[in-house]
Amino acid sequence: MAKYAFYFDGTRCTGCKTCEMACKDFKDLSVDAAYRKVYETAFGATTRDSDGCIVNSCVSYTISMSCNHCDDPACTKACPTGAMHKDEETGLVSVDSSRCVGCGYCHMACPYNAPKIDRSKGHSVKCDGCADRVAAGEKPVCVESCPARALDFGTIEDMAAMGQRANIAPLPEPTHTNPNLYIKASSDAIPSGSVDAQVVNPLEVM
Amino acid sequence: METAFAELPLALFTTLAPIGANAFIVLFIAAFAGKLNEDQLKKLDKFSAVPAVVVLVGFIASIFHMANPAGAIGVLSHIGTSPLSNEICAGIVFVIAMAVYVIMALAGKLGEGARKGLLAAVSVLAIVFTIFCGMAYMMATIISWNTPFTIIQVLGFGLVGGSALGSLTLALAGVLEDALKAARIAVIAVAVIGAVLAACGLIGMIVTVGGMTNGTTTGAALTSGVTMYAACSVICVLASAIVVALQKGTAALPAIATVLAVIGVFVGRLVFYALQMSVGISMM
Repeated sequence: MAKYAFYFDGTRCTGCKTCEMACKDFKDLSVDAAYRKVYETAFGATTRDSDGCIVNSCVSYTISMSCNHCDDPACTKACPTGAMHKDEETGLVSVDSSRCVGCGYCHMACPYNAPKIDRSKGHSVKCDGCADRVAAGEKPVCVESCPARALDFGTIEDMAAMGQRANIAPLPEPTHTNPNLYIKASSDAIPSGSVDAQVVNPLEVM
Repeated sequence: METAFAELPLALFTTLAPIGANAFIVLFIAAFAGKLNEDQLKKLDKFSAVPAVVVLVGFIASIFHMANPAGAIGVLSHIGTSPLSNEICAGIVFVIAMAVYVIMALAGKLGEGARKGLLAAVSVLAIVFTIFCGMAYMMATIISWNTPFTIIQVLGFGLVGGSALGSLTLALAGVLEDALKAARIAVIAVAVIGAVLAACGLIGMIVTVGGMTNGTTTGAALTSGVTMYAACSVICVLASAIVVALQKGTAALPAIATVLAVIGVFVGRLVFYALQMSVGISMM
């Protein structure tokens, strides 16, 4: 069976967050929970040059991201019970709620802000790649809902053919966990590791 | 700093359990120093439950960290791969050895050889457990924690707090004065080494984190919010070590040293959790 990846086209995304809302609706998530989030990234400055002219170098771009179902997931390594596991056939990472103790180590370890602890449920929660839909031959609901067709989902080979492996700021270098997220970057995007780019909507996504 | 309070159960666990565990090192020193007669050692045996209770309160606090404590036994299923599994495994091995010693001590069943042997084993396992408490936070994707300073400070906190609590245990048993006749230098050494490690670990971590940046925050922003708390922690553990060095036969000074150590270590642990910085975009 094929292993899967997400694709994100930064030249198409408008930051409308339909993907995020579709996921919340489909997964019946509470107001304060989201498995897919749209990170608004910005950097630059507005300054006055030597001639007295105002110069603006500010740019902003969005990244729609959920769990990246990494090849080398930090969450599964940290999990003490094995509840957080990677499916050998599909490569999708999900939580076995019957084994999860809700210790939060997956949340701490993940550099992509994916797993969270839902104390009311008593276990970790996160995107499972809409595994049931995928098994039925459909794509994840976030992908299907995107009005700009900025998201896609398919085999790693097909997604890798369209973009680079999660290598834009503010994402970390992909070598840490080998995420299965392939990105076609917008012209404003700068490489991973650039310290200038900051998430500017932390209250919304953290 | 307020985000660190989300980890309150873990802060209590990593404060109390290492302090209680390392207190047995002082009992080990007192038993090996050879100045206590059999009656005094029997009295000491009766108070061996004091550090054990502190350890157990720490472990109980850790349960409240989990959203589903009912499945806690499952945390042992990934020993060798998960740092948390390794920590809990080291903790359980230590608690078993400690329980054997304390139960036999309270039952009055310990001969001189058994007492020394068990205390030696418990002391070694206490240090191993404390090191694993620090290693539990060594994750490659958390750049602020994935440094030797993490282990150094946890071990230092455990040693300085353990020297104070161990001294208090000796004092409560009424044997501190005689124990110090032969073991003062060794007890002071444990306290001073612990305080120096704790201070170096915490300060080293703050200096290191101060130069870090990720996509959601800067190390400078994190450290600016904890500087006063870190100073309080360092001052308390250094003061605790000084009081341990000055103590005589009564329980007053060891009690003060223990209170200072618990405050210093607890605040230091909160500082540690407040300085969590992912290599990526995760936040507490």
